[in-house]
Amino acid sequence: MKYFREISVALALMALLVALAMVAPAFYQPQPLLSLATREAPTLIVACGMALVIICRQIDISVASQFAICSVCAGLLAAMKLPLIVVLPASICIGAVLGSINGALIAGLGLPSIVVTLATMVTWREALRWQRQGEFVNLPDNVQWFGLSQASGQWTIIAIALALLVILAICLKRLAAGRFVYAVGSDAEAARLAGIPPQRVTFLTFAFMGALVGLAAMMNVVQSPQVDPKSGTGIELKTIAAVVVGGVAISGGRGNLWGAFAGLLLLACVSPALTHLHVESYWEKAIQGMIILLAVVADGIRTRRGNT
Amino acid sequence: MNKFLRSNLAKHEAILLAVVIGEWFYFNSVGAHFGSLDNTFDIIRHSVEIGLLALVMTPIILTGGIDLSVGSLLGLCAILFGKLWRDAGLSPVTAGICTIGIGALAGGLNATLITWLRLPPLIVTLGTYSLFRGLAEAITHGVDTFTGFPSSFLFLGQERFWGIPAQAPIFIAVTVAVWLLVHRTTFGRSFRAIGYSPEGARYAGLPVDRRIAMVYVLAGIVSAIAAIIYTARLGQAKADAGTGYELYAITAVVLGGTSIFGGIGTVHGTLLGVAAIAVLSNGLVHARQPREVAGMLTGLLLILALSSSVVPKIFARLRSRRHTAPPNVPAVKTS
Amino acid sequence: MKTLFAILIAATLIVTGCNKSSDSGSTSNAKGKKVTIALLPKSKGNAYFISCKNGADKAAKELGVDLVFDGPTDPDPAKQNEIIENWITLGVDGIAAACENKEGISTALRKAKQKGIKVITYDADALPDARDFFVNQATPEGIGFTLMDEAARLCNEQGEFAIITASLTAANMIEWQKYIEQRRSEKYPNMKMVALRPCDDLKDKAQSEATSLMSANPNLKLIMAICSPAVPGAAEAVKQAGKVGQVKVIGLGLPSENRRYVKEGVTDSVILWKTEDLGYLTIRAAKALVDGDLKPGATSFNAGPLGTIEIKGDNILLGKPFIFNKENIDQFNF
Repeated sequence: MKYFREISVALALMALLVALAMVAPAFYQPQPLLSLATREAPTLIVACGMALVIICRQIDISVASQFAICSVCAGLLAAMKLPLIVVLPASICIGAVLGSINGALIAGLGLPSIVVTLATMVTWREALRWQRQGEFVNLPDNVQWFGLSQASGQWTIIAIALALLVILAICLKRLAAGRFVYAVGSDAEAARLAGIPPQRVTFLTFAFMGALVGLAAMMNVVQSPQVDPKSGTGIELKTIAAVVVGGVAISGGRGNLWGAFAGLLLLACVSPALTHLHVESYWEKAIQGMIILLAVVADGIRTRRGNT
Repeated sequence: MNKFLRSNLAKHEAILLAVVIGEWFYFNSVGAHFGSLDNTFDIIRHSVEIGLLALVMTPIILTGGIDLSVGSLLGLCAILFGKLWRDAGLSPVTAGICTIGIGALAGGLNATLITWLRLPPLIVTLGTYSLFRGLAEAITHGVDTFTGFPSSFLFLGQERFWGIPAQAPIFIAVTVAVWLLVHRTTFGRSFRAIGYSPEGARYAGLPVDRRIAMVYVLAGIVSAIAAIIYTARLGQAKADAGTGYELYAITAVVLGGTSIFGGIGTVHGTLLGVAAIAVLSNGLVHARQPREVAGMLTGLLLILALSSSVVPKIFARLRSRRHTAPPNVPAVKTS
Repeated sequence: MKTLFAILIAATLIVTGCNKSSDSGSTSNAKGKKVTIALLPKSKGNAYFISCKNGADKAAKELGVDLVFDGPTDPDPAKQNEIIENWITLGVDGIAAACENKEGISTALRKAKQKGIKVITYDADALPDARDFFVNQATPEGIGFTLMDEAARLCNEQGEFAIITASLTAANMIEWQKYIEQRRSEKYPNMKMVALRPCDDLKDKAQSEATSLMSANPNLKLIMAICSPAVPGAAEAVKQAGKVGQVKVIGLGLPSENRRYVKEGVTDSVILWKTEDLGYLTIRAAKALVDGDLKPGATSFNAGPLGTIEIKGDNILLGKPFIFNKENIDQFNF
């Protein structure tokens, strides 16, 4: 079956949702679900970028630091009373610059992505901490929800995230650039021989990831009147786990954004599900670890059975 | 391993050694008490646990794998050790032996998933990273901590044994063992071969799965040892012990010249990597610099270390390209 | 090549050993030498401790003290111990520590005391034998009781409430929870705590948790956020859920982070204390201890502009927790 993994994750998600409907129907109230979806929208945007990076056979664990830097910079720019029409592109550009640094080191110098992004993650995070010392950035009033009402703002953010998901999924499939990402992730040398420049594709993937992080950071900033410099902590684990659970192979060249979406929904539901089932919160990490392991084990068993 | 790579690696270690010595002399001049014996022992005592994890991470990375779960396993072993001692009433020695057994089992879980199901180590250990930490939190309900260990046990982490920190002999023993394993046994040679090409190694008749399983179980055992030393040093076992240690360990290993892709690397390189980070971190305190600077410099050091092995290769490639024939001349077979 | 390395490493070690006299520990306050006091927060990059540091800086300047401020930037419990051990080697005269792990840090503090360094704790205590005095701004008991009392007052002593904490392993929050529960069971049996959720010290996560809590517990009357980023996070969640007034928010936090919500009526009370005074008093007491002006057994301490401070046992009492609300929050800038 072609989309076995994506469908099984979707089924697992369905099962969880059905169980919740039976045991904890309180989960399905419109306002809280809307708030939850809005809070997860930035993560979805980052997950799309992460899926691209992993399909390209790389990894980026510095996204949390990029997110934090973009959030704080966007907040500071907004606090200087710059209009949002300037702040939003600025945030995306800052993200793109950070991503390009990763891309230059990885594609330009051929350094392994896990170590490069480990180094940039630590460097950027400590630099931000040093500068900010934990202080929140207070935003002027018209920044929250883009100056719209809460409901409009929430739906706008969700719409942007979903639209981006759809557009990127289509581009990945239909556009040559999308094919290039799969090709380079599958076998960089073969791609090169076929005329696809692997270094350029890799560089642009990281730069694009950075830009998406900048966008996601902005989507997060407009959700409250203050920016926490620790925003985005843990987002690298969340998105990598979501993408992998959703069927994107860490060895590159396989997977799609829908799987990443399903994986993200599944993992994001664990925490509120536990709250609604009145399960103690100290089970959360163990359960998330189990989901990741189950997903990859299922994959492994299937491959093994297919091979023997 | 061809001569070019080997000489390159030796050069890398030489540079790293120079960095460590350079750091030492710099901080010696800046900090009043930096060069003292007490401070050196401090550096050693503070870096033993991470050093142990880095040591055992080396053969894993040599095989082309990675283990992100060692820090979480340290936390899990620490609280299990505490629980066995306090709630099951075992003596610290017995509890320690049981904990090491549990560490081996946990490493075995990683090993099974990676070898039997041929799953990528990055993802398996990402899962166990959450799972082990989660189990530690679940067992203690997050709140339980274990303290009040007998002073004969705390001696291990806090006192001196024949003039040197008590945990140093254990660290030296593990270092020697891992060094011998990697550099003087056929096991070590097989790790490199597997890292270079798992399929090639399999065709060459190496029991690849068993060797890979070995390194992950070893990681589990050493994580447990590190957990016991950690608990002795701190005098307390908590579920969040060892948070972030896996990244420090990986940094030290890569700094030491081991390639993350596998096949190339040395244990003494890793030791130098640990030393570089530990001296830097300690020295900056003596130089009255804020802690964040240590993190930033470590990140930069890592990038420099990575680039240093690559930049000469790039120059070589650029130089050689000038001497090759233009593309439309048919290639001449040379062998 | 390898033997060369071995020789070089051995040489370096020998050079080390022969180096400066291993005169470790603090030198006593020699005439003319500036007193060095090291201030340890629970973690760096925490606005609460930065404001304590501001008060500490003021005291250091007034008293001519060299202030060293450093703290862990990552959550590993052993980091505070390592920093203290570094300071012992550095030879500071006094250490003032806010303790993340009571028992764990006592290991290092005892060593410092043995080497003649004066040890004082503030904000969160260590074990009594590991320090000379504890500058107590509010006992965990006082904090827990005040939180519970405020909650009860706002809920008319009955109803469901939930607690958002930083992490399940944070030692001081565990203590506060203990006293909150004690107060609740003794005085307010009609109030029920329905959930305890960690927010990992992140405002955004606290917001998500608060949203889920309100949705899972429709009868929830109050959210008690005992971790400072959680207070504005929970308030924002209540505001977005449209339940202002229906679900009350109180917590331990900084006035500056919560001013907006308090003024809007989303958050009723923010409980804290004058953090700058805490930092100020800590450094004053530490210096007095180093100079020998403050000795164990003293019952009061002259803290300059802060007046005469009462000492109960070995606790230097700054006072009781302070409740910031709509009426007074504008008077404070931190």
